[in-house]
Amino acid sequence: MFNIEFNTLAEALLMQSQNGQNHGIYVWSVVLIVTLCISISFIFYKYKIKEISKKIK
Amino acid sequence: MFQVNRAYPYIFYLSLITYLLSIFWGLFLTPEDFVQGNSYRIIYLHVPASFISQSLYLAMAIASAVYLIWKVKLSVYLVRSIAPIGAVTTSIALISGSIWGIPTWGTWWVWDARIVSTLILFIMYLGLISLHDSFNNNEKADKFLSILVLVGSVNIPIIKMSVEWWSTLHQPASITLSEKPAIDLVMLYPLFGSIIGFTGLITCLVILSSKLQIIKREKNKSWVKDYV
Repeated sequence: MFNIEFNTLAEALLMQSQNGQNHGIYVWSVVLIVTLCISISFIFYKYKIKEISKKIK
Repeated sequence: MFQVNRAYPYIFYLSLITYLLSIFWGLFLTPEDFVQGNSYRIIYLHVPASFISQSLYLAMAIASAVYLIWKVKLSVYLVRSIAPIGAVTTSIALISGSIWGIPTWGTWWVWDARIVSTLILFIMYLGLISLHDSFNNNEKADKFLSILVLVGSVNIPIIKMSVEWWSTLHQPASITLSEKPAIDLVMLYPLFGSIIGFTGLITCLVILSSKLQIIKREKNKSWVKDYV
């Protein structure tokens, strides 16, 4: 259950499937998009709260 | 708000750890799918976003009903603060689904019932934000927003049932309450973990967004001045 599916970093990046296609580009671009969206949202709200708190003070 | 502030770091770090571990598990420790190959690993990012985008709308609909019936101001603040986060999660679901579609279906977009109803959900989130911001009178804006959210909630069962009612490229639900999951348990556990972790992270975003909304709307009250 806990065996690492890829032997090298290059394999993990490429994620070559048994049909020979490399799916890494799709998987990693989704990982990047989700990470960016969530991080930017947190930064945005933290910044906005700080900004409005400063104005009220 | 003070109690939520105290709970916030615990929710945030627990959810972040759960999410990261589940994503690691899903991306590196689960076996390749024999039909979709490694592209199926997008499930660990796409499904939580899709689940949350619909759940957030349901939460908005409940809060809108509470506002219209009992006039609880906080519930409409919640509706307004959830809308942008709903738009973000729906866009993640749409984009990740499109990227998944390229190796799986051979196309990034089809005018299929599930995808179109999700696109309508995204447009609705944007529309609700613009509608609320276009009013000068907050009370009127809150009322219209709540009514429109309730009207739009008809789209949620459509999204859910679209794969059953129409012939679609999108696969039917792999996990249902009444049947055995169509997905192997080895792949299912990290999926549950990623859904739980992502839900926690989005809850933290809703807390931040609600805090901002409350401070904005109540900025003239003395307790807000004391709070900030």
